[in-house]
Formats: sequence, C-alpha cells, structure tokens
Amino acid sequence: MSNEINCIALIGKQNNPLYLKNFSNTHPDLKYHYIAHTSIDVIEERVASGPKNLDLYLGLLYAMEDLAVYGYMTNTRVKFVAVVSVTEGIIRDAEMKTIFKKIHSAYLSQICNPFYNLDSQQSIDSKAFSRAIEAIGANTNTKTTMDI
Amino acid sequence: MATAPSAKQFKALGEEVWKSKVEKINAELFTLTYGSLVVQLVKDYEDYTEVNKQLEQMGYNIGQRLIEDFLARSGIGRCVEFRDTAEAVSKIGFKMFLNIAPNVANWSSDMKEFSLIFDENPLTEFVELPEDALEGGLWYSNIYCGVLRGALEMVQMQVETTFVSDVLRGDDATEIRVKLTRYLEEEVPAGED
Repeated sequence: MSNEINCIALIGKQNNPLYLKNFSNTHPDLKYHYIAHTSIDVIEERVASGPKNLDLYLGLLYAMEDLAVYGYMTNTRVKFVAVVSVTEGIIRDAEMKTIFKKIHSAYLSQICNPFYNLDSQQSIDSKAFSRAIEAIGANTNTKTTMDI
Repeated sequence: MATAPSAKQFKALGEEVWKSKVEKINAELFTLTYGSLVVQLVKDYEDYTEVNKQLEQMGYNIGQRLIEDFLARSGIGRCVEFRDTAEAVSKIGFKMFLNIAPNVANWSSDMKEFSLIFDENPLTEFVELPEDALEGGLWYSNIYCGVLRGALEMVQMQVETTFVSDVLRGDDATEIRVKLTRYLEEEVPAGED
C-alpha cells in the first residue's frame, strides 16, 4: 500500500516548537504536537547514550498505533521529526534520509533570511518555508502512492 | 576619436573583465553580510525611510570609489551619449562587480531617463521581507541606487536614481529608474566642500 508522511515537525535547540505541518486528516494537529514533544525525550536519550553517534539521521524513534516516528538532529541541536503512517511494506532508511535532507535544505534557506531571528524562539512564519515543507510532503505522498 | 562601442562590444568587454581581471568572493558570505547590514540598520533607525536613505548614502560613498576601479579595469573611454553610459553600467559595471546583467529599457523620449531591470539580484538570496518592512516601504537593495549616483557623479553626470519596483515586495520585476539631471562642468560635487 502506501506509506505517507502524516506530519513534519521542527523543534529548536531549546526544545521549543519551531514548525509543524499536518498532512493527514486522520488526526488533529494537537496529536502531532504531542507526538513531537514525546520525540524530544527519545532523541535526547539516543544522543546521550551514544556519543559516538556521528550520523544526523537517528532512524526510527518509536512507533505507536499505526504511526512510526523518525528523527534527525543537526549539529546545532535542531531536531526534525517525521511521522509516517505505516500500512504495509517496509520504509527504507534511504527514503527517510532523503526526506530529512530536503527538510534540512528548506531549514537552511529559511535561516539565511537576515530578517529571521534565530534566538527569538518564535515559530517559523514564512511563506517560502511553508511552501517548501508542503512540497516535500506532497512529493513523497504522491510518489509512494504511485509505487503500487 | 574612437567610435562609440556597440552593444555587443560592451557585453564582450564585460565578460572578459569578469573572467580575467576580477577577484571573486563567496556569494553566500556577501549576501549574509549585506543582510545583516540591513537588519542592523533597521534595528538602529527603526524608520524604513531613514534606512533607505542610509543605504543610499552608503552606496554613494561606495560608488565614488568604485568608479575608479571600474575605469581602471575596464579601460573604457568616455561615453559619447547617455545611451552608452547606460550600456556600460549594465553590461560592464554590474557584470564586473556582481556578475549580473540587468536590462536597459524604458527610455524616455528625450533620452535622459532609462530603467534597469534586474532578472536576478545576488543581494536578495533567501531574503523575505517581514510585514512591517513591506508596509514601511523598505527598498532592500537601495544601495544600488547610491552606487550608481556616486559613480556617475565622479564622471560628471548628476543623476537621480530610485527604485520603481522590487520582487521582494511582491512586484513582478525589480526596476531602478535612472534620470540624468545634468552634466557637471568642472564643479566640486555637492556636499564635498
């Protein structure tokens, strides 16, 4: 069947929510906020236990009900969380890595905007960034559904 | 007297100077530097009209110095008509310093005004203006206007340069209007006594 990205979330280095995009209609935004928040603990555990972890991609953080949560943390402690609905089939690491790389690029373009205040801990409020994240979600979702 | 170079010759000269006679720096470094400059000005002055003025003034100072570099590297002689000036500015000047080639268009009937239309603008990579900058009337790349005014004044042309539209503000194109006020005859430039 299809594995779809249900949600992409960005969390700042002080564990403040930076951005959340809900692609599905099955669950409300609040549920994904909760999921992202719980992911922070899992990420911090992962990183603390393995100081030799050189990879930004953290893999599957945890799974619940029909959702799988993947994590990625940059060297500047900004965390990306992708929630995927697992129906059938295996999600390859390579696919998730590409998705995270795209999110990372979108994030880089956003912080290069001189008017964006990095220290303010406010959430990202930029049309270009929203468009980029939506494109990532749409691209992956249409792609997977065509892989039947 | 050498004949005025044709448009093609301007373009070729511009490309040649860019390729061989100019040292280059990293584009992101340049963009980020200009960006933090504008943001700092916005924080300091808090009034977008004043920021525009400051950017223009900074550009003016840069232009007065840049023209010497331009003339030395390009080896170009005197422009016969204002039209040649326009071509030299767009095909050689902008090419040499920014590797872009804005289009010269919208000439007025007396041939004393023209527009520079920019397809790309290296200063604005990644930049998105916040709401109050849009409402306050900030011209992000206003430094260009100053540079043109300062440079042309050093070659005895007094011009007025203003932004007409900017892609950053949601307009279709980025356009600067250049208007020749008069030729200066052996006078000290205004403001330098």
